[in-house]
Amino acid sequence: MSAPKVGEKFRSFFESERARILSSCTSCGKCYEVCPMPAYIEKKDGSTSGQVAAGVLGLLRDGTAQGTALEWVKVCMRTGCCVPACPENVNPKMMLRLAKIIALGGYGAAPLIPKKEDRDYFQRIRAFAELELSEDEIREWMT
Amino acid sequence: MSTPITFWYGCNVVRHGDIIHTCIDVLRALGYEPSPAGGPDFCCGSPKDGNATALGGMSQRTAEKLDARGNERVVAWCPSCHSQSIDFMEGAYEPRYDMQYFVDLLYEDRARLKPLLVHPVPMRVLVHKHIGFNDRVPVNRMVPELLSLIPGLEVIDEPFAAPGYMCAHLATLPPAMTRMVRQTESVIREKNCDALVTMYHQCQRELVGLEAQGVTRVYNYMQLVARSMGLAYEDHYKALKKAGADAAAAIPAERLQKVGVQFFDRAMLPELLKKTPR
Repeated sequence: MSAPKVGEKFRSFFESERARILSSCTSCGKCYEVCPMPAYIEKKDGSTSGQVAAGVLGLLRDGTAQGTALEWVKVCMRTGCCVPACPENVNPKMMLRLAKIIALGGYGAAPLIPKKEDRDYFQRIRAFAELELSEDEIREWMT
Repeated sequence: MSTPITFWYGCNVVRHGDIIHTCIDVLRALGYEPSPAGGPDFCCGSPKDGNATALGGMSQRTAEKLDARGNERVVAWCPSCHSQSIDFMEGAYEPRYDMQYFVDLLYEDRARLKPLLVHPVPMRVLVHKHIGFNDRVPVNRMVPELLSLIPGLEVIDEPFAAPGYMCAHLATLPPAMTRMVRQTESVIREKNCDALVTMYHQCQRELVGLEAQGVTRVYNYMQLVARSMGLAYEDHYKALKKAGADAAAAIPAERLQKVGVQFFDRAMLPELLKKTPR
């Protein structure tokens, strides 16, 4: 039996969440209505709350989105006001997170929103550890 | 007898060794035997949303490594790690350990924490809150209550909470970050506060610049807990922010050598020079 591929279990969970959200969300738009972040979307396209939610579902369904829906995915800061507002218990915060992974090209498609690449991200953490922790602590805590 | 517990501090908090060391001291004082785990090898994967294979691989590896520590309970310092654990890791990997957030543990043990807080910290503070994460752990209520156990410390009653769940995210949206900082400064002035107190290291990193810029003193809540317990850890990160362009001179030579001067200049100094937008 071959070893499971890296990321396979995550992918399986991701797909089950995607299917759950696609089958339970009614695109009522309540999640968008209560979110504080649309105030920071520079160019809105006139979509209603329901149309924005439907646009996010489109991203989950086939990886395409545009206009306000895509901008909303971009500015989501996981505030979470959407979670209790959802009448169908969909967990729109999860919906937006999955949508962002897709929009960033997380599964190999061309990114729809800017992807921040920081080649020093993890090395910077290791470097700060060198400044803040002892050699023993780094060896015992970080490996 | 001490209770074994894995203390999963996360990645980016290593900028604040004083906070990590204080948490460990507090856990020990509360009767736990902490096994600290953190850094890139224990990353929850959340910085890798743009690469789901890496995200999945890292989060699975970390769940397995935390499981291998063999403790029934893992207490997470970082709200991102905790969220990632609840949102994805529990469902995808079904680890054996129970996950708890650090503030939740402190709050649960507040009766044992209170007698440890013996030194007065005479200060009137504004607690920096976010709307997010509070739905998962009611930190916006718990942290002020914990701080009120410190003799001499006054926490002002202020409902303002920033969007998002931490400033490192909010900082990627400059208009939102600037607006939040202005609102925060306004409250500090109106309510005559001595300091701003953060809950998360991601907020401490973004807001400590306000102290370097002479606006207000900025502390993480655990730094005030440390002070009240009589723990003498120094906040090196704040000192480096205040040193600005001269930060390298404030670092012991042998430590700077390990990091590498070129790497420090290219990858660390820009962060230390970054101003908090206002």
